Amino acid sequence: MTALFLLLLAPLFTGSLKWLKARLQHRQGPIVFIDYLNLGKLLRKIYVLPQLASPVFILGPLLSALGPLLAAALLPILPSLSFAGDFLLVVGLLNLGRFSRALAALDTGSPFGGQGSYREGFVALLTEPGTLLALTAVALTSKNFSLATLPNPSAQTSIAIILAVAALALALLAEGARVPIDDPSTHLELTMIHEAQLLDHSGPLLALYELASALKLLVYVALIALLLPFNTLLSFFLVALIAWLGLAYLETYSMRIKYSRLPDLMIYNTAAGALALLGMVLRVKL
Amino acid sequence: VLALLRTNALAVFPWTLSSSGAVLIGTGLYVWVSGVNRNTSPYFYLALLGALFLALGPYLRDYLQHHSPRRARLEACLIPLFCASMVALLLLPFGYYFLFFWELMALLGFVLICLEEIEGGKLEAGSGKPESNDVEVPIPATLTLRASTLLGARWFFLASRFSGAGLLLAFILALRDNRALPEWLNTLVWIGLLIGFGTKAALFPFSLWLPRSHPVAISPLSALLSAGMTKLGLYGLFRAPDWMGRPPSWVDWTLIVLGLIGAVYALVRGLSEQDYKGVLAYSSIENLNLLLVMLGAYWLTGQPLFLLAFFYHQLAHALFKGTLFMASGVLPSQSLGQLGGVWAKAPFTAGVSLVAAVAAAGLPPLAGFMGEWYLVLGLLKTGSILTLAVGVLGLVGALALVLYVRSFGLVFLGAPRSEGVADTAEATPGMRLGLFSLVGQLVLLALLPAQVLSGFGSVLTYPVVPISIAMVLLGFGLWRWLRRWPKRLYNTWDGGYGLLEPRMQPSGLGYSELALRLFPGFALKHTLKPRDLLEELHGTISNGYVWLAGKFQGLQSGSIHLYLMLQFVALLIVLGVAFL
Repeated sequence: MTALFLLLLAPLFTGSLKWLKARLQHRQGPIVFIDYLNLGKLLRKIYVLPQLASPVFILGPLLSALGPLLAAALLPILPSLSFAGDFLLVVGLLNLGRFSRALAALDTGSPFGGQGSYREGFVALLTEPGTLLALTAVALTSKNFSLATLPNPSAQTSIAIILAVAALALALLAEGARVPIDDPSTHLELTMIHEAQLLDHSGPLLALYELASALKLLVYVALIALLLPFNTLLSFFLVALIAWLGLAYLETYSMRIKYSRLPDLMIYNTAAGALALLGMVLRVKL
Repeated sequence: VLALLRTNALAVFPWTLSSSGAVLIGTGLYVWVSGVNRNTSPYFYLALLGALFLALGPYLRDYLQHHSPRRARLEACLIPLFCASMVALLLLPFGYYFLFFWELMALLGFVLICLEEIEGGKLEAGSGKPESNDVEVPIPATLTLRASTLLGARWFFLASRFSGAGLLLAFILALRDNRALPEWLNTLVWIGLLIGFGTKAALFPFSLWLPRSHPVAISPLSALLSAGMTKLGLYGLFRAPDWMGRPPSWVDWTLIVLGLIGAVYALVRGLSEQDYKGVLAYSSIENLNLLLVMLGAYWLTGQPLFLLAFFYHQLAHALFKGTLFMASGVLPSQSLGQLGGVWAKAPFTAGVSLVAAVAAAGLPPLAGFMGEWYLVLGLLKTGSILTLAVGVLGLVGALALVLYVRSFGLVFLGAPRSEGVADTAEATPGMRLGLFSLVGQLVLLALLPAQVLSGFGSVLTYPVVPISIAMVLLGFGLWRWLRRWPKRLYNTWDGGYGLLEPRMQPSGLGYSELALRLFPGFALKHTLKPRDLLEELHGTISNGYVWLAGKFQGLQSGSIHLYLMLQFVALLIVLGVAFL
């Protein structure tokens, strides 16, 4: 249910983001449904298979789309499968997508793909601990460590929730390959992270990748929404709106930071996650 | 066991090994599943070893064809003996015979690694070119440099001595088991046990021998060492409370803290390692240290989820690491800088390695994920300061992911980095059978966690079967759809220059340079050179040991008076301990 819902919504989110960004930059901009049209265009094309490619070349986009899709299926925005420790599986499935994408980037023997692959790993190293810590802190508040049973914020839990939202918001920027970590609209191979891994994929393979990256963005939006004390669907749209405005603002008024400065930014992610968990463990009240 | 010992012919022994493996799996799992208590835990390890033996049989039969007949015969005798000593160890209580088999196992392992050295030495003596009967050898064995093998064997030997000494210390001190030990003696006993079993189980500061010695052994042997033998160190530690009484709480904390540090350390060093099997050995250290964390956390909190994690992850690690090591047997070289594009030459081996690598990177729905899932849930349930370890686990997970993308990607994907790759031969049918049986067991383990752990009663698992089915169905559908899609074969995109060379791909160190910058201790000058104080310390200690051993050789002069005197002194020590 959730998976289908997010899947259908994902191109609208990224497409309208392009439109909003263009408007903020005083450009005409594409229509908000541009990414549906893009997907349709890609699905009408044939794809190029590099001669060096192994089956991993196709497995990459395939698993990289399936990982976030199944992760989305576990999010209780709409009624869905939920069990103890489901948040770990969400993180694991997102990682499966990352793993297959980074492998497929190495598959073509392209130097750009290799660069994208290890940069992706670098971002993963910076993001993973904070994300896991934040989700763990939030899971501690729930009855059986499941995303479906998160309670309303109280004096005991609000500190964990606020810090976890901060950590996840930073993780959203990193995982969604957004400014200031990565620039989704860049066309210079030497500076790309996410896009450098997709250089050799075309047609339906590229469509899968595009869909996967949009879906991943919404999975993080949904994770943040689950922490908020409103009706889940309502808070999902609320968070999506905030993320939509925030991302467009960031991409208009700020720029990518260089790789060696990335730890300086992502340390806030780790610190927020660690503090959230520490606050829960030591029972700090707000 | 008898069936294992009786065999001595090359023709018979693979089948004996496999069938005894199957018997061990059957009996081991049967007893283990029927109920978990202190007496059934050896059966779990029997099943684990059985899984490895089952795969090793057909694999070895084909693998040893490449060795000279004399060496193959010798190995055909020694490897089953090595296996048998591991099995015997599990059937014995801690005591004299346990120590005897412990040493026998170490000695046989050492001899087996040395066989490689002898062969390698002959190769070097033969004017640098392989002899005629060795020419078409597709295995890394003959390419190994003599010096590194010698060093590896020496590391292995020293670690075994270290481990044996620790156990002996514990054994002597615990002889007086009818009375409660005074506090300080108990501490000494546990120090001895931690050193003795911890060295075999790659507990953090005692773990450096593993990436030195396992890669230089032949691939099936490194699989046996890394996936099987190290588990016996864990077995010893797990059983130690039965023999020595409840561990003091500093032991638990030592295991947890050292284990967490060790896991991160091993992965960071693994990222700077250039040898494929060395990378795998570092990953073994990481997994073993996580297992020690699970054990320490179980002792500390008594939370059963840690125990589930401990047992499940051992089985998972044995299977995926066994697969990866055995699959590395077809590679023409072990250097990441010379490999690449092996998938085109050996698709079966590469596919099997991919499945194992996904499991080893701890990704769902394969078996490597479950252990970490249990571990994090256990940490959540304790809800104490211990829960902060989750952050370290996050880092470990990300590092393992990068490590396996790097090692698998550089070896099996992309363009070949040297001409030797063109000669890679696909695994022979026997080797394939062995690899297939390991991967099959790995997948079964992933799909049936509740059944494997049913000895603990009904255990908590995540719905692994529905998720796997969804993934396989969707994946297969998409796969068919994409394969049928019209496509065009073309070169990799090269920026329009047409000058794409294999050298332009990231190299072993180039791949991990950005990530390694995050960690201290790497000097980035012209090349990336890890400066490892721990390693230097180990070197000093091992040199000291060799010096001391030289001095002690004077005692072995054959003088009967000296021997009698030594025995008398030993007796005095034992009596002194007993009456203290």
